Amino acid sequence: MLFREIVIAGCGNPLYGDDGFGPAVVEELQKLQLPDNVKVIDAGLGAPHFLFTLMEDAEVPVKKLIIIDIADFGADPGDVTKLRPEDLPPGAYRDAHSWDLSEPLQRLKDVIDITIIGCQPKRVASHEFELGLTDEVEGAIPRTVRIVLEEIGVEYGAAINHQGTHLWASPGETSGEAGDKTGEQT
Amino acid sequence: MSKVVEISPTTRHEGHSKLVLKVNDDGIVERGDWLSITPVRGVEKLAIGKTMEQVPKIASRVCGICPIAHTLAGVEAMEASIGCEIPEDAKLLRYILQCANRMHSHAIHNILSLPDMYIPGTDVKINPFTKEEPVRSVALRIQRLREIGQTIGEIVGGEAIHPSNPRVGGMYKNITPRAKAKIYDLAKEGRVLAQEHMEFMVAVFKNFQNRDWSEVGGVQVPIPDDLGYHNQGYMATAPVYGSSSLDENPTWFPERFTEVRPWDWYMGEVEVSEADPNYPIGGTSPVGTKAWPQMEACTGVPLYDGQPVEVGPRARLVQFRNYDGRGAMGLQIARQMEFPETAYGIIDALDALDTSGSVLADNIPQGDGSLGWAANEAPRGTDVHLARVKDGRVQYFSMLVPTTWNFPTCSRALTGAPWRLAEVIMRAYDPCVSCATHMLVIDEDKRLVAQKLIQ
Repeated sequence: MLFREIVIAGCGNPLYGDDGFGPAVVEELQKLQLPDNVKVIDAGLGAPHFLFTLMEDAEVPVKKLIIIDIADFGADPGDVTKLRPEDLPPGAYRDAHSWDLSEPLQRLKDVIDITIIGCQPKRVASHEFELGLTDEVEGAIPRTVRIVLEEIGVEYGAAINHQGTHLWASPGETSGEAGDKTGEQT
Repeated sequence: MSKVVEISPTTRHEGHSKLVLKVNDDGIVERGDWLSITPVRGVEKLAIGKTMEQVPKIASRVCGICPIAHTLAGVEAMEASIGCEIPEDAKLLRYILQCANRMHSHAIHNILSLPDMYIPGTDVKINPFTKEEPVRSVALRIQRLREIGQTIGEIVGGEAIHPSNPRVGGMYKNITPRAKAKIYDLAKEGRVLAQEHMEFMVAVFKNFQNRDWSEVGGVQVPIPDDLGYHNQGYMATAPVYGSSSLDENPTWFPERFTEVRPWDWYMGEVEVSEADPNYPIGGTSPVGTKAWPQMEACTGVPLYDGQPVEVGPRARLVQFRNYDGRGAMGLQIARQMEFPETAYGIIDALDALDTSGSVLADNIPQGDGSLGWAANEAPRGTDVHLARVKDGRVQYFSMLVPTTWNFPTCSRALTGAPWRLAEVIMRAYDPCVSCATHMLVIDEDKRLVAQKLIQ
């Protein structure tokens, strides 16, 4: 299934320094054992294009959407905030393809419960690509994971995947949630 | 006396680009420049010294729309450089991924093109978001095609957006027999939808070409018969998948490629002398705005045999299927004609796939620094990656992305069209201008709303 009841989407581009926060949190979440109705997606830059404009008519209706991204809300780098779609300035998450400049989230928010978890970035590369998060933002990852788990009502201890190895577990190797994904989700 | 109109930014496509148009007294474009204003950010530099596994992952992050094409082209450029042949079953999985990606991408492009089009037999423009028939069922069909494409892409590619399954040497995992059955069901459903959808969309685009006028910003603009015609050539490497320097008979030739600077190609500094505040969306640039395309253009101008060429669906059909449709609508129709093949391609590849076959090469050489290239026929055209790998590390990496090829070609296609239809021509190319950064900015008032969560 493309979507499940709860969708957690990490947004941003790891090539722009701290903009890679969303995908980095997703990487951590994918190591955990989460309930079957939760789907964690590394959305990269494609969230409006691939997710938000596709959820409305999805086969499995999405009830809750959690977006993880960086947000400039004037705090210290690494501080984390929770936002509602109403708090977003116009133009945030406009589809990269600019669907007639409409706002997919503003349309979605009446159908789906949307929470945005934003982390204050320290440095977002603007001219040249740059890999890697700053220490402050990296330090916000565990906190964000806990906030997400709280949002979906899962105890951290219960989510630890003791069987999990690593993301690229090869066939035959004991693999956790992430390694199991390919081909198994029919 | 020619006047200058500027449409900036252009809308309903990905990225930031603009149109600078010299028009005559009748509003007909004499010379048009379509250029990217998204800064280039040096992925080539970043790639140097990284491992050959890492670079395709980096390449896939360059753009939010085409991660599948960039992953496949990147991985295959590495394989081409190190001389690694991958197992047949891995090739089939990649082929399925390619078809699924194209199905999704062509479907989403329909939503971007439809608002320019009319419901055949009426003077009503199509709003793809309306809840009214007949458009509603078309929109639902588009969404279903996207969903099928994305679901198949996720099963085969590992993840729906940034595929994690392709790797240098093949794929991490084959799919299970159960997944194969599921994809088969989806593709069979997609086959019927794709056929119906192609027929509908072709009718809509033909209807537009046969109309006398189109309404843009309250003005009835005559539609010329040769809307979007150009005399440039075409470049395509395969009807569906692509080519690489490992092929016995490669279909792309690095020696035919050259590149010139925007300075040598685009027009010099001009001042906007005509404006239309009613032009959608938000009007054209006001009179007096300065534009300097040769300085502002952010991409070089790639040439093939010394000329700009068109890449994309029509280029593929012209090269491999004897297609002869011209102009903007000819290109749109070519794109629709590729729909059925995406579903049939998936089904054929599944038939040939052995789910218990190995999908990883037994031996993955680490590279001796030779140049390899791979061309992937992305939905919007040939995406070529070039690489040199030595001892597992990338020494050189370069990406020639589809829309870069189309910028100068489409600029030529604007000549002779009413300027208000320039965006209709541009959108026919399904442009994907490399992505800019993405960050939320909360304004002064909202800072108070945002509540810190310190734990």
